[in-house]
Amino acid sequence: MRSEHLSNRPAQLAELRIRATRIRDFALKMAAVQGQGYVGQALGVADVLAVAYFAALVYRPADPSWDGRDRFLLSIGHYAIALYAALIEAGVLPQSEIETYGADDSRLPMSGMAHYTPGMEITGGSLGHGLPIAIGMCLGLKRKASNSFVYVLLSDGELNEGATWEAAMSASHWKLGNLIAIVDVNNQQADGPSSTTLGFEPLSDKWRAFGWWVARVDGNDMDAVLSAFDAARALPDAMPRIILCDTLMGKGVPFLEARDKTHFIRIEPEEWAKAIADLHAGAAE
Amino acid sequence: MTLADARAALPTKSIRQQFGETILDLAGERDDFVVLTADLMYATGIDRFGAAYPGRMFNLGIAEQNMTGVAAGLALSGKLPLISGYAVFTALRAVEQAKLDVAYNGVKVILAGQSAGLSYGVGGPTHQSCEDVAIMRSIPGMIVLVPSDAVEVDACLRAAMRHPAAAPIYIRLGRGAEWTFNAPGRPFEIGRSVRLREGDDLTLVANGSMVVEAVLASDALRSMGVAARVLNLHTVKPLDVAALEVAARQTRAMIVVEEHSVIGGLGAAVLEALAEVPHGPVRRIGIADSFPPIGPPHDLRASLGLSAENIVAQALDLLRRT
Ligand SMILES: Cc1ncc(C[n+]2csc(CCOP(=O)(O)OP(=O)(O)O)c2C)c(N)n1
Ligand SMILES: [Mg+2]
Repeated sequence: MRSEHLSNRPAQLAELRIRATRIRDFALKMAAVQGQGYVGQALGVADVLAVAYFAALVYRPADPSWDGRDRFLLSIGHYAIALYAALIEAGVLPQSEIETYGADDSRLPMSGMAHYTPGMEITGGSLGHGLPIAIGMCLGLKRKASNSFVYVLLSDGELNEGATWEAAMSASHWKLGNLIAIVDVNNQQADGPSSTTLGFEPLSDKWRAFGWWVARVDGNDMDAVLSAFDAARALPDAMPRIILCDTLMGKGVPFLEARDKTHFIRIEPEEWAKAIADLHAGAAE
Repeated sequence: MTLADARAALPTKSIRQQFGETILDLAGERDDFVVLTADLMYATGIDRFGAAYPGRMFNLGIAEQNMTGVAAGLALSGKLPLISGYAVFTALRAVEQAKLDVAYNGVKVILAGQSAGLSYGVGGPTHQSCEDVAIMRSIPGMIVLVPSDAVEVDACLRAAMRHPAAAPIYIRLGRGAEWTFNAPGRPFEIGRSVRLREGDDLTLVANGSMVVEAVLASDALRSMGVAARVLNLHTVKPLDVAALEVAARQTRAMIVVEEHSVIGGLGAAVLEALAEVPHGPVRRIGIADSFPPIGPPHDLRASLGLSAENIVAQALDLLRRT
């Protein structure tokens, strides 16, 4: 749901920051249930998800498959914990399911799968599938004269995949003005920094050359993220839009921000408690 | 002793860890040996190789199709490349590169696919890999190996490395801890099955994680008066047709067990071979034509009947009917 403060930006930003902290809190609590998870990503992308779910997407929390909704595709299935946290904050999933995270018969499996979770539009996780599916959905929605946007969240590691770039060409070729891609550029992937695994810069120039409207922002600067989403939606041109969000893994929990290996985090029970306490201490400042 | 007790009495070893140790060891043998990965260096246990031999390690980023083509190019330039990835991405994402750039060119590239079958069960359909054997064995010239425990993984990698054929070799591997039961030091001969238990009532044919289950089932059946031969068919292609023909002649029935779809895997390969010769009834235990649920590998296997318990039950039922 878009928030009500459209005329009062400082109030809107304050609300979004509270939402983002709650998303981080839910993600940490889910990870604590299993003692492990892709939680560095969730902390990093929480501000982007807060803007997406509380200042951009049109949806009905009680009816996640309502036909008039904007679609939000999680191409990066390992980020499921981040999206679950956002869906809980959005009221699509109940907070009580946090305890079931990763359990055998849970609706919140460790990797995001459409058949398990309300609000999970696709089964991502094999990297490079999300953007092509998004293009198909955009074409389908245009054919039925729908006004819905299709948002798709990718990661910097996922930009390594050839299929992503095949799709990038299709999107501009088909003039998909209803497509908004978001990339979490945390400069991290499984084996280390993305920039040293497979250099991706100059990133904005690449997408522009592929025919996209591009915004590159500090993905942990709420003001900047909000402006980018607003601009992406308001753009009158029939072209796909992409918001490249530079984020910090572990954002909001200083000892996780400082960690060397953040792709998958496994820490002790008391450290999870400390992470949650540190998050709230930081947010209160 | 129950089957669960017998299983629990066995030692275990991580397949990934064994893989990493053997690769590091083999690197000393040949200078032309190079390793490629697609952002799965740590995840497939080859980080120590990478640290020891930085000039022989190519991390291509998450780009499996490109990586497989690059491996072909390296092979065409005189290197012996090994691709270290997950089975699902190695065999499915980059299948056309494996077919054309590698197999059609007749170059030797070792494609090592970890996390096969249900061994990364919590990853769901994106990471489970129950189709890879069917796909890889249909590629002309592709050798397909499915070792059964850490001991055999080690022997299999050494045999693949030394194999003289100018042909690609797909090696299907698990991921985490698996029961260890093979005796160390036994040579691994590509194309030659291993008879692990004698018996003339029926034959249990298995590969990969299901060999130990077949052995445990055979031991349990023996205490019930049923003599079940066990054949470890670690090589799906080229298949040890001779051993299968002998088994078909000497035993009344056959059960083929694999952690793979019943379509196109070991069971299918065995039936294709037996179609040419007289044989008794053959039953397949594998993954039905559906997407398995998510869960830890040992739980999933048990719930899908990929277990010694189910092999025993199926064997008794099959013998009752024949
Ligand atoms: C096609 C494919 N290849 C490999 C993987 C294994 N894998 C899972 S996450 C990951 C790293 C992805 O990069 P990114 O999302 O940027 O990593 P993060 O920022 O979460 O550390 C890899 C290689 C996969 N899921 N899909
Ligand atoms: Mg990343």
